[in-house]
Amino acid sequence: MININLLSKKYGKQTVLDIDILNIPSGQTFGLVGNNGAGKTTLFSLMLDLIAPTRGTVTNNDIVVQKSEGWKAHTAAFLDEQFLIGYLTPEEYFTFIGGLRGIKKEKISTALNQYADFFHGEVLGQKKYIRDLSKGNQKKVGIVGTLLSNTPLVILDEPFANLDPTTQIRLKKLLKEEASATGKTFLISSHDLQHVTEVCDRIVVLHKGKVVRDEKTSTDTLQKLEAFFREQL
Amino acid sequence: MLQRFLFLQWKSFTRGAGFATDLAQKILMSFAWICFSAVFAGLAFITFQVVQDDMGLDPLVFVSDNLLYAFAFWVVARYFLQKMPIVHIQPLLVLPISKKSIVRFGLLKTVLSFFNLGNLFFFVPFGITLMQQDYNPHGVLGWWVTIGSVIIATNFLNIMLNSVDRILIIVAVLLAGIFTLQYYEIFDLTTWTSPLFMVSYNQPLFAVIPIGLVVLTYSWSFAHFKNKLMLDEGTLHPKTETHRTAELSWLDRFGRTALFLRNDIQLIIRNKRARMAVWMGVGFLFYGLIFMSDIYSGSTMMLFVGIFVSGGFLFSFGQYVPSWDSSYYPLMMSQNIPYKEYLKSKWWLVVVGTLISIPLASFYIFFSWESYLAIIAGGIYNIGVNAHLVLLSGAYTRVPIDLASNKKAFGDKRSFNLKVLLLSIPKFAVPMFLFYVGVLIQSKSLGLILVALVGLLGFAFRNLVFGWIEKIYQEEKHETLAAYKQKNT
Repeated sequence: MININLLSKKYGKQTVLDIDILNIPSGQTFGLVGNNGAGKTTLFSLMLDLIAPTRGTVTNNDIVVQKSEGWKAHTAAFLDEQFLIGYLTPEEYFTFIGGLRGIKKEKISTALNQYADFFHGEVLGQKKYIRDLSKGNQKKVGIVGTLLSNTPLVILDEPFANLDPTTQIRLKKLLKEEASATGKTFLISSHDLQHVTEVCDRIVVLHKGKVVRDEKTSTDTLQKLEAFFREQL
Repeated sequence: MLQRFLFLQWKSFTRGAGFATDLAQKILMSFAWICFSAVFAGLAFITFQVVQDDMGLDPLVFVSDNLLYAFAFWVVARYFLQKMPIVHIQPLLVLPISKKSIVRFGLLKTVLSFFNLGNLFFFVPFGITLMQQDYNPHGVLGWWVTIGSVIIATNFLNIMLNSVDRILIIVAVLLAGIFTLQYYEIFDLTTWTSPLFMVSYNQPLFAVIPIGLVVLTYSWSFAHFKNKLMLDEGTLHPKTETHRTAELSWLDRFGRTALFLRNDIQLIIRNKRARMAVWMGVGFLFYGLIFMSDIYSGSTMMLFVGIFVSGGFLFSFGQYVPSWDSSYYPLMMSQNIPYKEYLKSKWWLVVVGTLISIPLASFYIFFSWESYLAIIAGGIYNIGVNAHLVLLSGAYTRVPIDLASNKKAFGDKRSFNLKVLLLSIPKFAVPMFLFYVGVLIQSKSLGLILVALVGLLGFAFRNLVFGWIEKIYQEEKHETLAAYKQKNT
């Protein structure tokens, strides 16, 4: 799905990301962990062509992201609140996002029912604009927006942050179900090692812009990761 | 404490998105400022000369007579144009800083506004001329203090107008009342106010009274804000607007473009800043009334007016494309949206705005058919050429717009840059030149036809032009995204 070859991003003399090779096969649930400044958001922004790489390219489904816009058709992403339109109600936002993917309004309404649990009655039918929702509820809107889009690739930056404990558990369940039912590829970054090991098949650790660990998730992955980050103390 | 606030302010200024622009632009800006101050200083001398020599009046008395009008105008202009002092206080609230000093700083900052300091350009040279002409220097000093005090008092009054609706209504009614009385010559208030301004010249010590006025308005707004320095009080956070539903299902027939159009209409309905752009467009409809005297009829100005009247919305809204979408630009850039469609919907919006403006402006027929024909020709040029040009200059504007904030429409000086300025030449100068050529060759009608023809030509080649603009937007994409990441400072 995603192929990265000799990709780097520098700001002045400082290298914030430098990846020699990274391939993410289709259908994988890919977890990205690392401390602040490790380059997680930079990597996602490069994948979405939101920033220009200093060197190298990202290939998304055989399309070079830096050269063509074709990847947009099969990619949905939610990185931060800049992916929300504050003056719309959540319903209007979903209609807009869905409309861009050619999904009919009625279909979106039925699809939304699926996420009623996840919203916990705090998002739909509130007659509130997204800008007036709490941070956690805004995040729910953003995440569901990407899932509704029905794209084979979904990129989520820190989806667990700002969510209440119950919703975190719901989100884990939701992501696992979506991944197994639809075969979507998920790229998820997180600071929460437990959540990310629970959800993802594969974990990559970024440290100062470089890939320092890359492994399939197994029973002892969490322990290994915790040990790794303890070493950084 | 003050120096720490000043430090913050200075940093927010120098690290803002607009400051780090190229040298050429800085030079241009300083040049504009020098010209501006020179013009005002010149105006002061000319006023003095004209009033004394040509009108045979005492310049000091003449200016004092008319000060009331100036101040009334100033109150209105300030209300619409002056930016409110939103110091970014939220992080300061929990620090060991007294609320008093936060408010004091916020208020004092407003005094440094152009709306206060700009007056110096006129009154200082005027006063100096007075002194040179053997007016009593102490008197002039007293007069200065009075005028300065009144100006600063209106500054604080304006702060209250902006935050308390009740006061706004009272002042608006008062101003309207005075205007009516004055206009129908029922009662001339200047006969009262003029001596009030003159008292401080004749008796400089009386200047203490207007200083009292400053103290009064200052303590009033100080008390007001000190009590309101809470996060939920609306001083810091703009009021959440009530939900305005807009189904707009009739738009569906426009296919994918409808998705964006619906968004843009909601943008306008639900955001103060965007509504302001529409009202400005409406305001520009009446812009031509200023020029409806005989002097202007038939000159090239006629077309200038025609372009502005029909294109008010096009300019006021269009100049901030794509900045309107700045707060969610990364979304737009990663969604399944080809640039072309995005641009096309914006284009439709400004074109429809222009198409609506043209029949709305039909009241100009009462003045002359010619002026209305100029509006139509200007409108065609706007649709064919300027609609593309505003989109093009938008690619270079890159001002992040904070939709929720109450910033005034003219607040963003940062949108002023060289490329945008250069692009404004074909918006106005080219059609005026075409018109002029037409008049030279044959007649005004030919001039108007030429302008309209170029407009139609632009319209015919719109797909080609869209291709170019799209390319430029694509080239500028990463820079634009980076600029929008910087929130308004």
